[in-house]
Amino acid sequence: MTNNRKSTPPAILSPLRFCLLLAVVYTTLLFVLPANKIAMQAYHLAPTQYHILLFVVVLPLILIWFAAFYSYAKLDQYAQLISKTPEGGDFVELARGVRWLAWGLAIPSLLSIILNSIANSRPGFLSTALITTNYFSLLIPLIGFSIIRKGAQGLTEHAKLRLNSGSAQTIMIVFVVLGVAFCFFIFRQLNLHSFSSSNNPYFLPVWLLISTIIVPYLYAWFSGLLAAHDLALYSKHVSGVFYRQAMRLLAGGTVAVIASSVAIQCLRSVIPRSGHLSLSATLVIINIIYVIMAAGFIMLSIGANKLKKIEEI
Amino acid sequence: MARLSDSMLYDQVVKVTYVYLGPAADRFIDRQVQNHLNKPPQQLSREDLLSLIDWIRVAVSLLTEDSEIVEEYAAQLHQLAAPHDKAKKA
Repeated sequence: MTNNRKSTPPAILSPLRFCLLLAVVYTTLLFVLPANKIAMQAYHLAPTQYHILLFVVVLPLILIWFAAFYSYAKLDQYAQLISKTPEGGDFVELARGVRWLAWGLAIPSLLSIILNSIANSRPGFLSTALITTNYFSLLIPLIGFSIIRKGAQGLTEHAKLRLNSGSAQTIMIVFVVLGVAFCFFIFRQLNLHSFSSSNNPYFLPVWLLISTIIVPYLYAWFSGLLAAHDLALYSKHVSGVFYRQAMRLLAGGTVAVIASSVAIQCLRSVIPRSGHLSLSATLVIINIIYVIMAAGFIMLSIGANKLKKIEEI
Repeated sequence: MARLSDSMLYDQVVKVTYVYLGPAADRFIDRQVQNHLNKPPQQLSREDLLSLIDWIRVAVSLLTEDSEIVEEYAAQLHQLAAPHDKAKKA
């Protein structure tokens, strides 16, 4: 079919090229940086074995980076294609939000491996490493969810769809259950007798932890829940048989990505980072969540691709 | 008067297409008319419709393998191509 718009192959290459670069840097650091002595002793590993095991453990994460960067590239291509239409701006926001989530997977991982390596040789630095990693792990998805929410809200407003009382109730129940469980598990690890004590796995005084970690996380998750709801609502009610099919994939994918991101963030907060390799049941759960996240990014890519095709034929 | 009628026809084609392509409907029709009929979309005439339907059928076949839905869409557009009185009876 004739296409009156220029095809844009470099746009798809660019994010993937970035991702490849990040993956190469990350893998190189995995093998080059000194092995953690605590982990080597705990699992009776030689340095080479430690590095290989670490690589095997993080390999699923690196693969998800590719899925995430590919999906944001696809969504971005579609958003640029329709940027001048009434719903174009909302898709641009969605693409920006997914881009933040994609970078939010890579940056904290890279930062973590570098800072933890410094902490290996300078034990006093461990608290700084963990605090910095925790804040980056919070900040980037917080921005991503907020932007996705803005885009999703715009789509429902354009379609004149509103949050009904039943959905609002469901969102509130999910949020309250999630929030209370999250606070319960976090508070169990804190010394609540002294609000200024930073003698806890987060190395932060309780008041600072509540105001700069717990509250922002709850806000991010509420934004994520609302965004997921708005996207699901839009994809359910929007007109157009083919458009709706594609939109359902895109919305379903985004919802899976948001849900799995929330689950990972929740788990990472409830079970604090140790700063070194830890083979535990948590790792298995995290990998299961990663599979859901990967499936979400793949669905999102397919949906964006289908929407793009509608605009190109 | 002719221009108004052409414009109405364009609107009707977009209206039918909206059922299948939703918010992308007007952009889709604009592209088909501009690229295949080489004229501004608002000047779409009844004489162009059969040719346009053929192009639309080809284009939509790229989106789905469900030939039934493609034919259903084409049939609805064919109703617009029919003379006015026949269309009314239909």
